[in-house]
Amino acid sequence: MAISICGMGWINNEEYGCVMNGMRINYRDSLKGKALSGKEIFSYPVKNFGRLDNISKLTCYAVALALKDAGVKYSMGHKHDIGIISTNKSGSLQSDILYFKDYLDSGRTLSRGNLFIYTLPSSPLGEAAIHFGLQGPLLYVTAPDKPLQAALDTASGMILLDESPAMLAGMAEEDEAVYFVLARSSDSMQHVLCDVTRARAILGKDMIFSKMIKEFSSLKEQRGQE
Amino acid sequence: MSGLRAVVVSADMVTAYGNGMDSCWNNILSGRTAISGLNRFNTKAFQSDYAATIDSLQYHQKDSLVMQMLKPLFDRASVSIPEDAKLILATTKGEIDLLEKNILKGTGETPDCSLTSLLKKVSALTRVKDAGVVVSAACASSSAAVARAAAMIRSKRSDCVLVVACDSVTEFVFSGFSSLMALDKFSARPFDKNRKGLSLGEAAAFVLVMSKTRARQEKREILGEIAGWGLSDDANHMTGPSRESEGLILAIKKALKTAAADKSAIGFISAHGTGTVYNDAMEMKAFHSVFKDKKIPVYSIKGGIGHTMGAAGIIETIIAMKSLREKRIPPTVNLRDTDADARGWVSPEPCPADKRKMALLTNAGFSGINAALVLAE
Repeated sequence: MAISICGMGWINNEEYGCVMNGMRINYRDSLKGKALSGKEIFSYPVKNFGRLDNISKLTCYAVALALKDAGVKYSMGHKHDIGIISTNKSGSLQSDILYFKDYLDSGRTLSRGNLFIYTLPSSPLGEAAIHFGLQGPLLYVTAPDKPLQAALDTASGMILLDESPAMLAGMAEEDEAVYFVLARSSDSMQHVLCDVTRARAILGKDMIFSKMIKEFSSLKEQRGQE
Repeated sequence: MSGLRAVVVSADMVTAYGNGMDSCWNNILSGRTAISGLNRFNTKAFQSDYAATIDSLQYHQKDSLVMQMLKPLFDRASVSIPEDAKLILATTKGEIDLLEKNILKGTGETPDCSLTSLLKKVSALTRVKDAGVVVSAACASSSAAVARAAAMIRSKRSDCVLVVACDSVTEFVFSGFSSLMALDKFSARPFDKNRKGLSLGEAAAFVLVMSKTRARQEKREILGEIAGWGLSDDANHMTGPSRESEGLILAIKKALKTAAADKSAIGFISAHGTGTVYNDAMEMKAFHSVFKDKKIPVYSIKGGIGHTMGAAGIIETIIAMKSLREKRIPPTVNLRDTDADARGWVSPEPCPADKRKMALLTNAGFSGINAALVLAE
């Protein structure tokens, strides 16, 4: 039984996009250097978005774009049996430093809970789960080499064993994030970018972020010409 | 089908009770707590000065606290670990004390205290060839890792998986839990009417998981079977559990389904049982919902060894398997006055276990993560 990639969303310091929809927006130009507010991307506002750490913000953006690309609608209070797995190389390092320095600055008397919660590498996924109503398995995984491949393998393994009917798998660092929507392949599936084996092979090349997006985008173009 | 069954063939641990599974098991059965006054760092500003720590560990030395736990653990165990085992490391904060040390020194350098750096050290310690993966799912990290190991066996991706888990009590983590007002001033009292919060603990442990076929071929002693697992999320709140318990109920139902077991097959429950007001109430609500009026014996070991965070699930798996083998259900340490919703379910005394039944194990963590395992003898 094959697993398909049926949505892919991504964001970096300048652009964001949905691969299957062919959407690619340079927000640095369109917002004239202002930061994204979220209105451009989310169906409804993320609660306390300004308080999220960077990785959580980028995770939420990329997940919203991936779900949009896959045609999955979400709304407040509606929950889905979809899981989420992420990876990265830095873990929660920046949030760890921020939390501990802030605590030291207080004379080691006062630490801030709202900084502490982002010192877990799984916390950005928790923020995404709350906003998008994801009730499936939630895990952070990482590996010394090709961590995104490890995340994809774990997610597809969960679908194959019926642990979840669909999964989000992706990566989020301080300045870039990408998420894939994975589901079991079926004849009725209209929107498919590629099967997970093909995606694995691309991720196995360990390319820089922009090249990886380009390679997946070219897959979509090839399918369009078929 | 037996080739697809995941069994534990070797396990070991270090907790605040000392080295080994028997030390932990005997102390829990005796009802003694290992939670005591904490003198590793200044606790004056915190909610509590109690934790379950390992006396021999040296803070802010060359080796991190978790490496000081793991080195002796694998010095004792390496002979029984095949080098072709796949490796999964479960932790929440790994070597965070190395980062603390550098920030306190003010060197301006960031040490390599990443989870993958720890994974490389663990891979070298265990002498397995696999580079491995890290699984981090807050305080459900190691039960999630045990679930992944069983999934790898069932899907034939491997026939031998080593799961290692560790976390330590550091100023970083202690101050954080204190800021969230999650700590009991003294010693955690899971399922007690007067419980006030959790007590932190530290531990390291491993389980070697094999397909039953390989375990038989190698004539390994079988300590227990990971029969089912279920993972879910509340999708509700970052630090508090859902009061409706629907996430944990979903995880339990998934675990029973993957075990192909009916709820009537469950003989006892190893609960997450942190001692916080909301966690324990949420768990009891889930157990009432799944098991209805049939009261199943429930226990928590966190009044004994504290909440060992990313290591909690693996320690609890080893103890629950021991309980299945010994046909004895551990007491809930520190339980004095049972909360109304737990009455008839939890006990301060050990009790006999039904010989033919399985165990359910539950864990939960920040981000609303839930994990459930079904364990068999």
